[in-house]
Amino acid sequence: MALLQISEPGQSTKPHEHKFAIGIDLGTTNSLVATVRSGLADTLADVNGQHLLPSVVQYAADGVLVGQEAKDHQVADSQNTISSIKRLMGRGISDLKILGDNLPYAFSTSDSSVPRIKTAAGDKTAIEISADILKVLKQRGEQTLGDKLEGAVITVPAYFDDAQRQATKDAAKLAGLKVLRLLNEPTAAAVAYGLDSGAEGIVAVYDLGGGTFDVSIMQLRQGVFEVLSTGGDSALGGDDFDHAIAEWVIAQAGLNANDLSAGTLRLILQEACAAKENLSQHNQSEITIKFEESQTWFGTLTRDIFQQLIDPMIKKTLMSCRRALRDAEIEKHQVMDVVMVGGSTRTLRVRELVGEFFDTQPRVDIDPDRVVAIGAAIQANALAGNDPEGNLLLMDVLPLSLGIETMGGLAEKIIQRNTPIPVSKAQDFTTYKDGQTAMAVHIVQGERELIDDCRSLARFELRGFPPHVAGSARIRVTFQVDADGLLSVTAREENSGVEASVEVKPSYGLQDSEIESMLKASMEYAAEDKDARSLREQQVEADRVIQAIDAAMADDGSVMLSDNEKALIIEARGKLQAARHQATDSQELKSVMANLEKVSAAYVAKRMNASVQKTMAGHKVEEFNND
Amino acid sequence: MSDLIFSQNYFEIFSLDVSTNPDLALLNENNRALQRLAHPDKFANSSEAEKRLAMQKTSLINQAFNTLKDPALRLQYMLSLKGIDMNAETDTTMNGAFLMDQMELREKISEVRSQSDPLDELEKISKDLKSSSANLIIEFDKHYQADDLDTGREVIRKLQFINKAQREVSELTEQLEDELL
Repeated sequence: MALLQISEPGQSTKPHEHKFAIGIDLGTTNSLVATVRSGLADTLADVNGQHLLPSVVQYAADGVLVGQEAKDHQVADSQNTISSIKRLMGRGISDLKILGDNLPYAFSTSDSSVPRIKTAAGDKTAIEISADILKVLKQRGEQTLGDKLEGAVITVPAYFDDAQRQATKDAAKLAGLKVLRLLNEPTAAAVAYGLDSGAEGIVAVYDLGGGTFDVSIMQLRQGVFEVLSTGGDSALGGDDFDHAIAEWVIAQAGLNANDLSAGTLRLILQEACAAKENLSQHNQSEITIKFEESQTWFGTLTRDIFQQLIDPMIKKTLMSCRRALRDAEIEKHQVMDVVMVGGSTRTLRVRELVGEFFDTQPRVDIDPDRVVAIGAAIQANALAGNDPEGNLLLMDVLPLSLGIETMGGLAEKIIQRNTPIPVSKAQDFTTYKDGQTAMAVHIVQGERELIDDCRSLARFELRGFPPHVAGSARIRVTFQVDADGLLSVTAREENSGVEASVEVKPSYGLQDSEIESMLKASMEYAAEDKDARSLREQQVEADRVIQAIDAAMADDGSVMLSDNEKALIIEARGKLQAARHQATDSQELKSVMANLEKVSAAYVAKRMNASVQKTMAGHKVEEFNND
Repeated sequence: MSDLIFSQNYFEIFSLDVSTNPDLALLNENNRALQRLAHPDKFANSSEAEKRLAMQKTSLINQAFNTLKDPALRLQYMLSLKGIDMNAETDTTMNGAFLMDQMELREKISEVRSQSDPLDELEKISKDLKSSSANLIIEFDKHYQADDLDTGREVIRKLQFINKAQREVSELTEQLEDELL
């Protein structure tokens, strides 16, 4: 009985029922899934006992492989085997150059703002590829828990902009996952670390992953994790160390990267990565590469050379640290602990320079690969309603300032970076032409003054406000950033109170319609699934129709209808009620519903007329002709 | 949490007296306490309407928190409580002597690179700016207590100048540090 299930807000209907939710760390190099069981948070393993899922997908003509199996094909089938796809999330075709010339993929030419990689299984966007990784993690969660999932918390780099966050959310939608929250990776790490150690005070989380870098300055206090500031670089990570070594190898071997095949480049990168990892244990690393034509190159990478290659990149991360401290108004000595997160913090030189910078020994005792997923699982568990005392609270900030384009290509900041979220800000605009009923607002994200130096997020087209004399309309545009760090825009004309319609044209994202068509095409919804789904949709619709008819009949049925008309409607209603519970196919239900709509059409029209007359009573017709 | 906060002023939201110099530790503590009640994460299983309300409340709390934390915004807000909207005004003439000081200061900042220790010089300028800022807050307080809001408004304009210079100093410091790194 629906009426008996009403509960206090924030309480679940059955307090003792445990709801399963997962935390997902969707990484550049590896991804993980974790959950809380019997009060303990841990990452989940696959059937082979592996926790890390390499973020690699192979699109062969005969099927899709994800993880280690895909990674094994990286050299032999480099064109169809996609890795580090996170770097392309929320990015446009014009960004491909910035991300490096060595992307071994072929891109299809299309008019979409989103790059599509050509594979044997068709063109794939970063969103679809990420969705394929998420599907595997979701399945792992469902199989391990043997239960339906309430939803997932998915982590993103704190420094991800709006487009990158939206792309992540879209990927989850495509994978059939309900996103409880997008959570910033350093915040997730702090949750796991803070709850585990019971530490209270100011903490810096230094998170260097495969492709992204974040630093967050946080205050930990009685279960509240408050981000004071965040900084970073969403295109800098351990991948870049590998690339630097690979370039060094190619130069040492006297070769030119342009002459090498995608497979050879991939092979060199793999060797470079192995050498990097080896240097965490040894003073030098031997590198052997078998080129085409059975040429072989030997070389030795010493720690000294390695340091020369990567120091400039580490220094860039320290610049972000300094900025974050300044934004938080925190001095280095106030930082109690520096928590090292992300696989790339295993590089000894990183630990050394970070330690020097903060003048303290950084914490390396937590598993840098798993801590983010575990933190996400803890929040997912709380959001699913399994944290009855409700002690855990995460307060995060907007990583990059949001602005709008003004005259002369300048960016005017609307919401400053490191403002706590959710946050909303209203700004008034006016029209510059008589009778103007629409306007466009171009939103950018970034710290620079010129529009061209910031990241274009979207163009919002506001339509449908009443025409006024130029300069007299007052259009209040409200920018709302939610707890996921995602922006939405609403607009209304203040003099008339008319709400404008807002159409979003994302600069580097997919339109809603594109996502929908991908969803439809997705294997996830096989034919059967689809039928069940549309039947459910029709059942909901039937309930709505029955409810509306009942309400109308109770209101004025006996006044407006003859006995005969009334009987016809009641009969059709009864048939729909029965079909609602018995019909097994949506078409059947639909036709019964159409019948009810047909017999009641005249009644609906009559009611509408009556209500219009009621509204107009006492007014002159001219009043309604005026705009 | 009640909907009362939509009709409270920013100080009332955090149970603080209207003041140029509020207890910032208390502001922080009360902010956390309010967020515990209002944050959208606490309404993950509630209806869409309740989620929306939670987001609006938290947005307001954050807006209020940001305003009170920042001295110039805080003082400006105090004036707005008395019906003076500084964003809307067109008359922005400034005291001549103050403007001269400001121009000298700007010159000093722009020439800092030629100094033997530019970072040290910037730190000194930053310290001076901080103490000017503190003095201006005290000055504003005097006028505010005496209900001389016009003079108070002038003080805030000065404070805005000082803040702008302070931001320039930080940006330049960051730039120089980056170059040294």
